[in-house]
Amino acid sequence: MPLNEAKTLDVSHLPPFEISNQAPLWWGQLCIVFIEGTMFLLLIALYFYTRLQMDVWPPPGEQFPHLLLPSLALIPLFISAGGSYIASEGAKKNDRNRMLGGLLLNLIPAGIFLAMQIIQWHSLNFNWKADINGSYVWAFLSLYQFDLVADLVFTCVLFVSLVIGRFGEKQRIGIHVDSVVWYFLVLIWIPIYLAIYWGPKIMES
Amino acid sequence: MSATPDAFASVPSEHTELSLLEKAWRHRRGIFGWLSVTTHQAIGMRYIITAFIMLLAGGVEALLMRTQLARPNNTFLGPDRYNEIFTTHGTTMMFLFAVPVMEGMAIYLIPLMLGTRNVAFPRLNAFGYWLYLGGCLFLYWGVFTNTAPDMGWFAYPPLSGPQFTPGKRSDFWAQMITFTEVSALCVATEIIVTIFKMRAPRMSLNRMPLYVWSMLVQSFMVIFAMPGVVIASSYLLSDRTVSTHFVNPAEGGDPLLYQHVFWFFGHPEVYIIFLPALGFVSSIVVANARREIFGYPAMVLSLIANGFIAFGLWVHHMFATGLPQIGEAYFTASSMMIAITSGIQIFCWLATLWAGRVRRTTALHFVYGFIAIFVLGGLTGVMLASVPLDLQVHDTYFVIAHFHYVLIGGALFPLFGAFYHWFPKMTGRLMSERLGKINFWFLFIGFNLTFFPMHILGLKGMPRRVYTYPVEMGWGPISFLATVGAWIIAIGGVIFIVNVLSSRRSPHFAAANPWDAPSLEWAADSPPPNYNFEHLPAVASRYPLWDPPEDRGVVTGLRNDRREVLVTTLMDAEPHHRYVLPSSSIWPFITAVCVSIGFAGSVFNPWYIIWGSIISGLALIGWFWPRRPFHVEP
Repeated sequence: MPLNEAKTLDVSHLPPFEISNQAPLWWGQLCIVFIEGTMFLLLIALYFYTRLQMDVWPPPGEQFPHLLLPSLALIPLFISAGGSYIASEGAKKNDRNRMLGGLLLNLIPAGIFLAMQIIQWHSLNFNWKADINGSYVWAFLSLYQFDLVADLVFTCVLFVSLVIGRFGEKQRIGIHVDSVVWYFLVLIWIPIYLAIYWGPKIMES
Repeated sequence: MSATPDAFASVPSEHTELSLLEKAWRHRRGIFGWLSVTTHQAIGMRYIITAFIMLLAGGVEALLMRTQLARPNNTFLGPDRYNEIFTTHGTTMMFLFAVPVMEGMAIYLIPLMLGTRNVAFPRLNAFGYWLYLGGCLFLYWGVFTNTAPDMGWFAYPPLSGPQFTPGKRSDFWAQMITFTEVSALCVATEIIVTIFKMRAPRMSLNRMPLYVWSMLVQSFMVIFAMPGVVIASSYLLSDRTVSTHFVNPAEGGDPLLYQHVFWFFGHPEVYIIFLPALGFVSSIVVANARREIFGYPAMVLSLIANGFIAFGLWVHHMFATGLPQIGEAYFTASSMMIAITSGIQIFCWLATLWAGRVRRTTALHFVYGFIAIFVLGGLTGVMLASVPLDLQVHDTYFVIAHFHYVLIGGALFPLFGAFYHWFPKMTGRLMSERLGKINFWFLFIGFNLTFFPMHILGLKGMPRRVYTYPVEMGWGPISFLATVGAWIIAIGGVIFIVNVLSSRRSPHFAAANPWDAPSLEWAADSPPPNYNFEHLPAVASRYPLWDPPEDRGVVTGLRNDRREVLVTTLMDAEPHHRYVLPSSSIWPFITAVCVSIGFAGSVFNPWYIIWGSIISGLALIGWFWPRRPFHVEP
């Protein structure tokens, strides 16, 4: 875009908002994802560091978490990211039905995932007070679930604002950047899942 | 009056347009309006003032310690009080002064330097400040209710754990960390996005002022380092409040784990404080040498390399813990490596000064002081990187001397220089140069008198954190000298405060660009209006205000009746779209209060985490709830 003769750069023709990875909000969300991602990856590294310091792992009397339920729970989790993608594409095109459908496909499977997680918590025969292994497993579960619930609540708020018709460009950008959080929540769960459910089994054998 | 005085080819300004702009950016009145402010100048200034009050508090604590240590067997302070004071001093200086003041300066300066009107997320910015203030009040609430932390500023377990520090002292410390880390992460996020997406048209990455580069690297460091301290303080807090067993050896936890993760944050933290100071030095040197910086690419690459290497040094804080030798050797090498990137920058500044037409302002005096002190601190740093020497002087006054040389020399001197340099921009008045130079000499002489003797005390074996010592040790005379130095620093501090207060009312009004400096903040009025520039500038070089007038352009076509800015592309800063910033809002304050209730309450009852999350969630919904008009008009 060149300067004109009066040394001015006219930007009045540029759009007054943007729903893409050029939006500042998208970049801000990316920074938040980096912060959270660093925290979880660091915690995973520390978990294995602690494991290396211990002779017996996990401590006697603790049974490992079962693999079946957490593994099945991956299915609704992946579907929820797909729903988030559909909603985000709908937001770019300002297609209300796609946004609504996508958010439903995001929220319902995420709710199912959360319910399966809570059922699985009850099957653990140790809590965070048991020993350092218990502290770690519960730290992962509670931190991750906290993130998940927080984002579920805000996706619900976006959904409600769509349903009652209180929405505009800001909410559309919100839906778009919300998808970044969902992709992150799905992606970061994979190493956590591997570390706390598969890790002990592999290292035991 | 035009908001881009004489610097840029001005567009005929229409009175109505200017009044629209003023109306759109005006603060609301009253206490409600004051709590709702989201402009970067106001928030930046609040950070700076709060941080200087914390500096004063930390300084008084230092004086109390020095007074106690002035002579052997002194009884001015008892051992318990002394423990509280050295812990509060370190905690205040690191977490409540050094990092926040650098953030405050950046919040104030970065949008101006980039030629835009505010940071990318103004409400997040306000939220970050209120949480920081919450952290300050929280720690000093502990101090004034006889619950000050007393286990050292890095709170190693098992000393800080439930077994050896019952009561709430450690919890106050750990939760204060939570306040400040959330605040620092808010600032880092908005600084990165502002730099990436809101630069003046054509300010490609390689045209950014070095200060902007230093803040960009620093903000990334905050993002990758702060999660470390989140984990460390959460380990400690959850061990103490909900009986987890991460770092409590009595229950099978690993205290060394805490040290690793704390220093994984703690070492980068030093560079988080120091990198912005390097940016100040570059700005002051360029303006006062009146020439371009020597070796701009080398400077940028050194800053980035500093950022990376800083993450590979943390174990040199733990040489005395008996780690494997091969690991120690690696960390010795990486610790010495950082001297290279720091050295490159020193040489570039020297070359710039050598080839420039130097104007010896107070700010430049502080840069000279910085170079002298910081190089000495760097040299003792290289010494400490060697394991045998480190083991010999570990936890002695030698280490105290070293880190005060790098932190006061490396960060505080440039900060004072920056304050003298940008004071005219922030207030519209010039500070007294004569008082400024007296101020400098008091600080410089006082500093060296305080901390140089500590090297000798350390080599003579005086351990840190002792509240007194017997006459027979022979540390008395040198220790007394250090105390005299501390009081000279205090006089320097008083001169600084007098200079600031008298200059605020002085009749010496500052022009827009009193130093004939080249970066964009000097194109705005002094002090800048809430919208910074009537017409956003476009740049054609690295030093836009030194360009001939025919090369300077401005942006037109932004709407003046709302808070609109221009978003540009990441690499080349080509205009991409217009962006309407949110207006003032009370919600960041309300949310910060709710979050603070959760944080503070959880020290006494873990359920506050849940209640705090619920009320904070409700406040955030209030913050985000869609308000009319829903659609952005073109």
